[in-house]
Amino acid sequence: MDDRELIGRVLAGDPSAERALYDAHVDRVFRLVYRMAGDLDRAQDWVQETFIRAFQRLPGFRGESTLSTWLCSIAISVALNGLRKVRRVRDREVALEHATPAGAPRAEPDPDLRTRLREAIGALPDGYRAVFVMHDVEGYTHEEIARVLGVQPGTSKAQLFRARARLREALADFARD
Amino acid sequence: MAMDSDQHDEQMDQRIRELARSFNPPPPAPREVMWRAIAARRVATRPAPQPRWVPWAAAAGVLLAFGIGIGRISAPGGPARGTASTEVRRVNPTAYRMATLEHLARAEAFLTLFRASLERPGDRRLASATARQLLAGNRLLLDSPAARDRNTRLLLEDLELVLAEIAQLSPGSPREDLELIREGMERGDMLPRLRTAVPVRAASNQGAL
Repeated sequence: MDDRELIGRVLAGDPSAERALYDAHVDRVFRLVYRMAGDLDRAQDWVQETFIRAFQRLPGFRGESTLSTWLCSIAISVALNGLRKVRRVRDREVALEHATPAGAPRAEPDPDLRTRLREAIGALPDGYRAVFVMHDVEGYTHEEIARVLGVQPGTSKAQLFRARARLREALADFARD
Repeated sequence: MAMDSDQHDEQMDQRIRELARSFNPPPPAPREVMWRAIAARRVATRPAPQPRWVPWAAAAGVLLAFGIGIGRISAPGGPARGTASTEVRRVNPTAYRMATLEHLARAEAFLTLFRASLERPGDRRLASATARQLLAGNRLLLDSPAARDRNTRLLLEDLELVLAEIAQLSPGSPREDLELIREGMERGDMLPRLRTAVPVRAASNQGAL
């Protein structure tokens, strides 16, 4: 069954079509969202939110992009909003930690390259991070990313260029080794 | 020999790309868990078909009013025209017992279904609406001669608390609210008391009739 037929059945109120649509796309959406979230509970919540929104907005889907791309654009929007909330919470926690009297400087083990990269990706601005994860991690093309994020392919390329530059900068110590 | 900057960047990018593939490696998607949550929320946001117990509860509400009406009409001297206190004295107590019996049976069925559907947020709105209907009947009975019997009054008073809590529920109510209601029902032995009360009263009503 193609997407058009599936959408028609969902809009006609067929619950089995909703499940079929979900089954057809959930793995791709979950992979992308999990890469952004890095946490199973959070990823589950965001994927659920993605499909809830998708079913609600399906009557307005005009088929200008593929259903898969449309779902990914909702997923990225949900994930970026979620990350902003996570960051706000984390910032408050960090502020509280800093408010406590500092003892001796914490001796932290020197993180290896993988850990440092993970931190550096996590520290990227949301737009850069989305493009980097989609292109360099999940293998989306710039055209696909542009459709998902609603930008020009050139913007996607520019953001990837800047994201990589930031990562190189963050990992400069390792490059010298 | 100094490495060309572009070449250096390219090598670094290549290394980063290789390492990045292990960035947040996703586990297999927990499809069923997520689908259950999605389906539950879809049901909650859809204009849901009424569960079987809602029309039944509404019908029983009519029965309750009918029972009280019978009591008034069958009272010596016909329909009461006096003050509330004289009206109460004239009512046939059998009608109140019938109405009480119907009400308690309905409450028992409702609470049984409610306890079984606690996990479905979509049912909470319907449960709340039904609880409000039952609450109205419960208060009528508490103000009626049916509540002169001490055991009946205590049961109706405890039932009122549970129904009032359920009536406050909404689809977004936190899980703690549900747990409090469940604990309240269990602490007060609400369902066993209702189940015990109904057949006893049914038997006594049949005898009276």
